[in-house]
Amino acid sequence: MKLTKEQLLGFYKTMTTIRAFEMKAAELFAAGQLPGFVHLYAGEEAVATGVCANLEQKDFITSTHRGHGHLIAKGGKIDLMMAELFGRSTGYCKGKGGSMHIADVDLGILGANGIVGAGQPIATGAALACKYKKNGAVVVCFFGDGASNRGTFHESLNMASIWRLPVVYVAENNMWGISNNQKNHMNVADIADRAGAYGIPGVAVDGNDVIAVYEAAAEAIKRARSGDGPSLIECKTWRHRGHFEGDPAIYKDPKEQEAWLKKDPIPRLAAKIIELKYASRAELDKIEADAEAEIEAAVKFAQASPIPSPEDVFTDVYAE
Amino acid sequence: MSKVGIIANPASGKDIRRLVAYGTVFDNQEKVNIVRRVLLALAATGVEEVIYMPDYFGIVPRAADGIGSRHRLSMDIVSADIELTGTQEDSYRAALELNRYGVGCIITLGGDGTNRMVAKGCGEIPLLPISTGTNNVFPEMIEGTSAGLAAGVVARGLACKPPAIHPTKKLVIYKNGIPVDIALIDAVILKDTFVGSRAVWDAERIRQVVVTRGEAHNIGISSIAGVLEPVGVMEERGLVMEVDQGEANLLAPIAPGLVEPLRVKDYRRIELNEEIKVTDVPCLIALDGEREIEVREGDEVKIKLTFDGPRVIDMRTALREAALRGCFRGDAVAKHVRRLKEEV
Repeated sequence: MKLTKEQLLGFYKTMTTIRAFEMKAAELFAAGQLPGFVHLYAGEEAVATGVCANLEQKDFITSTHRGHGHLIAKGGKIDLMMAELFGRSTGYCKGKGGSMHIADVDLGILGANGIVGAGQPIATGAALACKYKKNGAVVVCFFGDGASNRGTFHESLNMASIWRLPVVYVAENNMWGISNNQKNHMNVADIADRAGAYGIPGVAVDGNDVIAVYEAAAEAIKRARSGDGPSLIECKTWRHRGHFEGDPAIYKDPKEQEAWLKKDPIPRLAAKIIELKYASRAELDKIEADAEAEIEAAVKFAQASPIPSPEDVFTDVYAE
Repeated sequence: MSKVGIIANPASGKDIRRLVAYGTVFDNQEKVNIVRRVLLALAATGVEEVIYMPDYFGIVPRAADGIGSRHRLSMDIVSADIELTGTQEDSYRAALELNRYGVGCIITLGGDGTNRMVAKGCGEIPLLPISTGTNNVFPEMIEGTSAGLAAGVVARGLACKPPAIHPTKKLVIYKNGIPVDIALIDAVILKDTFVGSRAVWDAERIRQVVVTRGEAHNIGISSIAGVLEPVGVMEERGLVMEVDQGEANLLAPIAPGLVEPLRVKDYRRIELNEEIKVTDVPCLIALDGEREIEVREGDEVKIKLTFDGPRVIDMRTALREAALRGCFRGDAVAKHVRRLKEEV
């Protein structure tokens, strides 16, 4: 596998931008500045980054309620995302959707989604459209371990398999469906095992190792783009925070949490970059500082933006 | 007291070779089924205690739990006392712990990679490796019942000498003079930088291969030796091959379904205790099919062939020997019938 210095530093930039966005969202939510719920992606950055680094602009993704990371990794505009979290009219959904409905069709982002498992049939349908139009695009469908219990998951994989659709299903297994541990809600330990039931390849990878994720996604996306059909990639990872901001996550074993924090994907990548002498610690600090500055600028943009007016309730209700 | 250890790797058979080759997803429910048959057979041979590696799926407890009431087991089944990391390190730690328990043998479920980790910690305890991995040169496709019967007779001392138990070779990897790892089957020097998803399947990246054994029917990099100059399990030699990117001169099944053209520029036998220098530095070294060791500019790496790998049970020979000794007749039958009646 070939990865250049520029690629690794690019991964680092994306991952630190996602982390900075999430930590700022946590701070703003605690301060009562965000009107809606937020579900943070901190700890899972390697998945979105490693997968989306293989995508082109013409490709599509579907996201989840924990979608900020996917959107940033696919090129979503930080200031419009932040404005949406603030409920301002400059936001992606003009301030009417909030965190769980951000979409940017021009960038191939078919939307975050507040309904668990709802992205799967959307991704499958988008993949059918790509195949029908012969546009060479592929679709990546992100979802969590809980969503892999939904009927939508099984229906989607079945349909994608029989029609050999250009879609990659990426299960972000962070071990928790809200507060329910995976071992309590499914009788398999590896979601990848479920691929066999639909006659498609299923692989499990270390979701906190961006290089391992990148490599697996590269092969699955190449397969989809070549017309060889869908795949399932299970990325084993861990969300650092509760299900939503405000959830104290008392259901997590502190020892397990501590063990996973030691596997944080960002310091792991930093150590690799420094070992390879691709950048110094100081240079990586500068990348992090730049990411934080970008987020601060987005916050200022959002705070300076207007709140939708009461009349806006009647706009964007019907297609024109 | 006759004790048997079980190390069933829940992560084997799920790596990227399902995408880049045609490996089967080996789901954990099937491993549960195999272990269930192993347990029933162990109990039938009179084994009194099974100690197993705990894992995130609970393969052994689920196997025991699913045994019907009319087949209730007469032996104790206990978890080894190890803290799980969810990594391959668990297999190594479990092997160390089973060594401490003094089990008569260890049944493993995994591929070459799993057995490599177990071999680091099992010491003199013989292994009975059942294949549930991707590259399976070290373990065999063995029916769980047969494996349980063979492990049972070995643990009870009814078949414990060669050829029922035989030694194996291994490769010791020295980095800057320090032994850092081992391989049971092959060490592959790759023109690569990152461990990434670990598996090896891209023939273009291979530079050098050192094997302890290799047959044409093997799946994995050791098959290259198999098609050039086969090396058997008990032969006191290995093979080193230099691979380059010129016109291909052989075909070898380097991963499930991937029979790849390769060019072997040069190859020769190696003797026991001979050290092979890794010349193409920097590089990455894959051990038994998994990218493991990153070698940087300036590192000096040597690979040494030895004949002190883990001892392995030959299931067929062990059972034949036990059968010829009458282990499945006479008193053994009466004891087993008595145990079954006590359980009821």
